[in-house]
Amino acid sequence: MMTPVAVPPAVRRRVAGRRLGLRSAGWLGVLAVAAAWQLTSLILHKPALPTFTTALSAVGPVVTGPALTSDILPSLGRALTGFVISAVAGIVIGLTLGYARRLGDYCTGVIDFLRSVPAPLLIPLAIVLLGLGGQMVVAVVVAAAVWPVLVNAFDAARRTEPLYLDTARSCGIKGAALLRIVVLPAALPMVMAGLRIALSTSLAVLVVAEMLGASSGIGYFILQAQQTFQIPQTYAGIIVLAGLGWFLDTAFLLAERRLLRWERAVTRDRHG
Amino acid sequence: MPRRRSFPFYRVLLLNPLIAIIRITLPVTSIQEKQRVKAPAPGPARPDPPALDPVTPHPAAVGARAALAGEAAQVRAGPARLRRAKAAAGVAGALGLWALLTQTGLLGRSEFPSVQAVAAALGGSAGPLLASLGTTLESLLIGLGIASAAGAVLGVAVGTSLWADAATDVIVRMARPLPSLALIPIAILLAGLGTTMTSGLVAFAAFWPVFINARYATRQVEPQLLDTGRALGFGPRELLWRVVVPSAAPAIATGVRVAAGIATVVTISVELVAGTGGLGGYVMHAQEGGATALMYAGIVVGGMLGWLLSAGIGALARKALPWDPAARAAA
Repeated sequence: MMTPVAVPPAVRRRVAGRRLGLRSAGWLGVLAVAAAWQLTSLILHKPALPTFTTALSAVGPVVTGPALTSDILPSLGRALTGFVISAVAGIVIGLTLGYARRLGDYCTGVIDFLRSVPAPLLIPLAIVLLGLGGQMVVAVVVAAAVWPVLVNAFDAARRTEPLYLDTARSCGIKGAALLRIVVLPAALPMVMAGLRIALSTSLAVLVVAEMLGASSGIGYFILQAQQTFQIPQTYAGIIVLAGLGWFLDTAFLLAERRLLRWERAVTRDRHG
Repeated sequence: MPRRRSFPFYRVLLLNPLIAIIRITLPVTSIQEKQRVKAPAPGPARPDPPALDPVTPHPAAVGARAALAGEAAQVRAGPARLRRAKAAAGVAGALGLWALLTQTGLLGRSEFPSVQAVAAALGGSAGPLLASLGTTLESLLIGLGIASAAGAVLGVAVGTSLWADAATDVIVRMARPLPSLALIPIAILLAGLGTTMTSGLVAFAAFWPVFINARYATRQVEPQLLDTGRALGFGPRELLWRVVVPSAAPAIATGVRVAAGIATVVTISVELVAGTGGLGGYVMHAQEGGATALMYAGIVVGGMLGWLLSAGIGALARKALPWDPAARAAA
């Protein structure tokens, strides 16, 4: 965890003066990457690498076409279902084990091992257990996305300021109420950081699971487009997915800022 | 270490005989042995170790307590050795539960093989498993190496320049949610099905955490340290090597650790989707052939791979970067 260092006033003034220039530099950087792509594809002239403009213009038809209801929305639904299940399970289990210190001590080994298993390796297992389809995809998403939430909630609950706990206990608060009133709010900044990682993990694993064991969804769409040599559509699918990821992340940050208004450090450290 | 001596050892023995078994089977150091002999008769268990008991409710003491909260948490968790013993006991318990559930038939045999079956599969096909692990490790380590080197160098370079930093700002924010795993079909189109493709995609995916951490840590180098360096007459090169790089190194190590996790996931995903062998291919084949125990064996090996990579990089970073506060906390 890095603590942000205070910027000296002189530097801050200089930065403020150049802010407009710097902000446009950010977009110039994106433009440079797009131009490099365009040039590379024009020079190489490979069907596997269409120009940036071709790929971008394929996005419109994909988003407005039948893929919207057959692939994009189901994927969004699966990702969000998996994310919500992971969030609830991760927070409840993580906080409980973190708070129940003795029980938690015995679980660290199991947790460490289970979260070390690369999630895509569980796709064949999920296919054996649940068959092909959306249910299997959601299960794989949960198996991948639950860990960042669980581990962060666990660590944060263990680091709850003992004074808070003692104070609450001396007021007669215990059990689940103590978890809800003291441990959860104290752990919330770290839990939110875990949730954000879980959100991007959900989308990433979702795609692989859909490529391997579903007949709908963005992952299926991308692989299908590649196998039928509809190259611009393949790129368009990836761009749609990246846009979806960006949209979910932004929405999450907005929600986080609302939820953690009292915790300034989190919003300050937002884009690190 | 006084902290270790003050740990109420008898309580743990009282609480769980499992620990006692592990203690006896593991070699016990002499201090702990003496401790056990000297320990008084088990009394009623107190909720907190002595270090946390509120002795004096003086405001200054309260402040000191707050400052020591991090350390107090460590005291509560107990010595590292005991923590490890408990974790091992937990794993043994989980395996026992698994054995119990499969033995009693609560879990179906075809989907959930018994512990013995998985162990037999692990031992029986150790050769092919290790071979596929080697294939996976090859592409993984090549990609991770490229990503770490490029990410660290470019991150520090970009972080030292305000304009380069600004120019990459939007790119980084766009690249972060970009799911590298969706690029597998494109990578296959561009680079075929070989190790080059896998390593290349791994390098691309693993580059970002290293780059982002290196860039951020370079930007956040303590201005006082830079000023001190300048006051000592450091040139730009010395400033870079003696101030910026050592300051940013712990964050870069963290980035590499995150990147290792991503690299593992990407390597195995490519192996699954492209069917290029390796551990992913092995598990897929086991599933398709209905060899459930073999599939579980592959998953266990994958878990060990991920765990060893993460723990190995963490241990390496602690050894190599002794000035990192995280290394000191873990020591």
